[in-house]
Amino acid sequence: MFRKSRLFMATAIASTVAFSAHAQDNSVTIVLSEELEFVEPCMATKSNVGRVLFQNISETVTEMDPETGLQPRLAQSWEDMGDGTWRFHLREGVNFSDGTAMDADDIAHSLVRVKSPDIACEIGAKVFGGIEITSNIIDAHTIDITADPAQPILPLLMSLVTVTPQDAPLDSFVDHPIGTGPYTFDEYERGQFITLSANPNYWGDQPTVQSATYVFRADSAVRAAMVAAGEADIAPSIALQDATDPAMDFSYPNSETMFLSIGHAQAPLNDRRVREALNLAIDREAFIGTVLANGTLLATAITPPSTVGYNANLKPYAFDPDRARELLEEARADGVPVDAEITLLGRSNNFGNVLETMEAMLAMYQDVGFNMKLEMVEVAEWLERYAKPLPEDRGPTLIQALHDNANGDPVFSMYFKYHSNGQTSGLAYPEVDAMIEEATITTGDERTAKWSELFAFLHDEIIADVMLFHMVGFSRVNERLDFIPTIRTNSELQLSQIQFK
Amino acid sequence: MLNFLGKRAVASGISFVGLVLLVFFLSRLTGDPTSLYLPLDASDEIKNQFREIHGLNDPLVVQFFNYMGDLIRFDFGDSIRRSEPAIDIVLRGFGWTLQLAAITLSLVIFFSIVLGSLAAFHVGGAFDRIATFFSLVGASAPDFWVAIVAIVVFSVTLGWVPTSGTGSFAHWILPVAVLFIRPFGLIVQIVRGSMITALSSAYVKTARAKGIKNRSIIFVHALRNALLPVITVIGDQAAALLNGAVVIETIFGFPGVGKLMIDSILQRDFAVVMAAIVVTALAIFLMNLVIDILYSILDPRIRY
Amino acid sequence: MENTQNGQPSVHDGPETHNPYMQTLRMLWNDKWAFISVTFLLIVLACAVIGPFFLDDLATKQNLRGRNAPPFDFSTSWSFWLGGDALGRPLLARIIVAAQNTIFVAAGAVFFSMIIGTSLGLIAGYTSKTLSQVIMRLADVIMAFPSLLLAVIVLFMLDSSVFNLVIVLAITRIPVYLRTARAETLEVRERMFVQAAKVMGASTPRIIFRHILPVVFPTLITIATLDFAFVMLAESALSFLGIGIQPPEITWGLMVAQGRPYLTTAWWLSFWPGLAIILTTMSLNLVSNWMRSALDPAQRWRLENVGKKSG
Repeated sequence: MFRKSRLFMATAIASTVAFSAHAQDNSVTIVLSEELEFVEPCMATKSNVGRVLFQNISETVTEMDPETGLQPRLAQSWEDMGDGTWRFHLREGVNFSDGTAMDADDIAHSLVRVKSPDIACEIGAKVFGGIEITSNIIDAHTIDITADPAQPILPLLMSLVTVTPQDAPLDSFVDHPIGTGPYTFDEYERGQFITLSANPNYWGDQPTVQSATYVFRADSAVRAAMVAAGEADIAPSIALQDATDPAMDFSYPNSETMFLSIGHAQAPLNDRRVREALNLAIDREAFIGTVLANGTLLATAITPPSTVGYNANLKPYAFDPDRARELLEEARADGVPVDAEITLLGRSNNFGNVLETMEAMLAMYQDVGFNMKLEMVEVAEWLERYAKPLPEDRGPTLIQALHDNANGDPVFSMYFKYHSNGQTSGLAYPEVDAMIEEATITTGDERTAKWSELFAFLHDEIIADVMLFHMVGFSRVNERLDFIPTIRTNSELQLSQIQFK
Repeated sequence: MLNFLGKRAVASGISFVGLVLLVFFLSRLTGDPTSLYLPLDASDEIKNQFREIHGLNDPLVVQFFNYMGDLIRFDFGDSIRRSEPAIDIVLRGFGWTLQLAAITLSLVIFFSIVLGSLAAFHVGGAFDRIATFFSLVGASAPDFWVAIVAIVVFSVTLGWVPTSGTGSFAHWILPVAVLFIRPFGLIVQIVRGSMITALSSAYVKTARAKGIKNRSIIFVHALRNALLPVITVIGDQAAALLNGAVVIETIFGFPGVGKLMIDSILQRDFAVVMAAIVVTALAIFLMNLVIDILYSILDPRIRY
Repeated sequence: MENTQNGQPSVHDGPETHNPYMQTLRMLWNDKWAFISVTFLLIVLACAVIGPFFLDDLATKQNLRGRNAPPFDFSTSWSFWLGGDALGRPLLARIIVAAQNTIFVAAGAVFFSMIIGTSLGLIAGYTSKTLSQVIMRLADVIMAFPSLLLAVIVLFMLDSSVFNLVIVLAITRIPVYLRTARAETLEVRERMFVQAAKVMGASTPRIIFRHILPVVFPTLITIATLDFAFVMLAESALSFLGIGIQPPEITWGLMVAQGRPYLTTAWWLSFWPGLAIILTTMSLNLVSNWMRSALDPAQRWRLENVGKKSG
């Protein structure tokens, strides 16, 4: 018995030595929170897919840099040709990892592919929803792209379109992505790991990191433990309570905004006073540094402060339970059914402390006299109640949601959330519709001003939603790396930006 | 025996079809997967096309007969979530689950029978008290709690074993150890209880009275009789393990069938749910058959 | 007390021996562990019955700025002696209030699964082969039906109330009682005394309830008490996966699950409710072990003869 257990320990220790030593000093291991369902470049706007593929395997025509704005990537320059047409001049001498040269045909094919109804790509719907895209190939390295209706920010939209070779199928996902990026896709052992290695024929500078392994762990404490134990180098997203070591843990604004979406159609939520009371009843400050991280910002709009047209003049609603009770009384006196039961709908596992946050808000609402009940549901049911078509028999509902917009322009959010035809819009005001449509087609300072005006109108006049927080994310990074997470870390993780200390 | 097996196969076949029917219709009650897989602003046309591709437009009964027709040809359909054949995904996961269950269960059976019987030999003695205490703590300790504490202590602080994942022998230690605790605690108690009854039963007393001094003979004799309920409970625990150790798989990133099943249920990936149930149900039916045969080996008076 | 007993059963021929209650109490007192366990269970039961009535407000009063207050700070109100939770609510008060739902779920699930499972198992073991085959294959179906799928469907279709949780957990636990009861019945019915009763013309229900059930019962009780823990933890695992009881309802299992993310920073959040589960299970098992001995004529001497050896 004893000999056996000693043998057992010896074996255990022997293999311990084997796994904790890094295979090579220039390889990294990244631990993600969920397994990739597919490795399809046109789904790279999903954050787990994006962190592996985006700009590592598949590159885009332009690239959004949170510091410096829009940068060239596969295109070297672009110009507005008028009438919704933009001309892109492509970089020459770029090859896909399978050896074929990248040219204008590939760009045209990629645009068709992201819009292909047979694969229903996330990028196509998210970036070009409701927009017709046509392209006209001028020569091998020049292409005209036309959007209908015209899109003044088309070059920005192109920063989200991953380029795939022209033989990528239009009716099915690929399981071995080919791109022009600094890395090539080596192997996906389902359920276990994905490996990438540096692309020797990359058109740009060779990256420092020569190979990368991605593994998947659902539990935040385990991800944090893996970096602490030296088994992984980067855990892009860990929970607030696991970020306990200042030497390894970085916080970053993760471009997600949390809010409660109000369904304006149902009484009593159709009454402005009730909506104001909903805003006044929440002690937002009390969440920061407690249930939510220090550095979390109070939100007045659905997009983060780095967005065009962000209105810094707006003041978050102060915590004023007495005023909230007064407003409810006033509404009650006018016959508004303020005692109707309101459902507070949360999405399970949406972020680290979602349950605590929702429970705390429920108590705050009950405290000022709302008749409210909390329901936490899985994503599938949550979607059915958040996006149209909504169930007919729904009662008054407040829906907790996180909105992610790291792309710098509110256009990715506003139609979707506030236009009366938007898929997740809880309101229908002709003046809001008009403001969104106008701002979408203007450019420059005028665009900034129009978005600003819309934010103010939504927040102060209509009181569209209960705006809550611009969230903060945490990454744990092994001390041997020189890498600082940014607002983009939520959607991409460029291996070529990682250096060793 | 052959007659018994034949009848059993027919009966199990019927209940198998019943199970497939039940799961097929019940899982559809959770809702339509379309909106979950398509972008929020997908047009009705695209949505319709999606339903058409995945056969969701037909009436449920038609869908069921289509499914059964394909099943006979061993076609389990494709996963919506991963766009690959559902059975491939499930068999991959089930291989891991089977290994984990087999290793854990062997350890559990060995240790719990030895410790449980020893405890029963001196009821109320020091060994009995200690064994009872630890087995009850084990049987009632939340496994996710034990798992995280074990990772923090043995992987991060001491650095003895890897935190999670697969690859080497060392990767198995923590998941097996954590998974071991609860069935072990439970079965020790069951063994102890039925051994006490067996040891105080008439025939053991007779054996003792006849002057059989040899403890091991008494032990074997009593154990043989005490094993009936033990085997049943082991079967119950084995079924739970074959259905996948969801919590352990979630925490240790272990690619088994349990987490796959819960994810597929929540994501309404029906093909995978069905394939997983077909595979695990076959395993569980087979196991119950083995248990029933074991009953009659242990006690030849039991006949079917 | 101990002097009055010298190991001879005849000593108990005093007047109190004829009072079964007094005798039971005395046997209980003689097994100190069982006595402590019964006391603990009575306290839990009292908490479950009256706790929510008195402490509901205290247990739901939150204070975000005072979250995760550490335990053993005796300068605060008694309700914070075990610390505060992630929303600054007193853990001790919450554990007391949560006892009600916890005991209701666990007892309900164990009770129903045991009654249904045992009845079906007895029938399957004693009656015709065809009926037995039907029941057993039904048990196979339940056993192979993933409990999580059942949980998702029931809780999705019918709302995730405490009562529905009892239904889910009860159904999933039926097979173990069923198979145990049947296996034992198959064995017991071949024994001499059952065959004798049969020859003497005893009716089937009489044989089942008077002759077979008493032999099968101790094993079932052992399983049932262990199942208490199993059910509480299953409920906790459902909460861990986000499909269990919904806050603001609370159970110990939910508290353990909610405290898990704080294991490394505020251990007390999930430790105390976990301890409550462990202590309850342990008490139940010690009591059931004691009952086994007390009810089994062949083992009763262990409890009566304390003079020989202290228990």
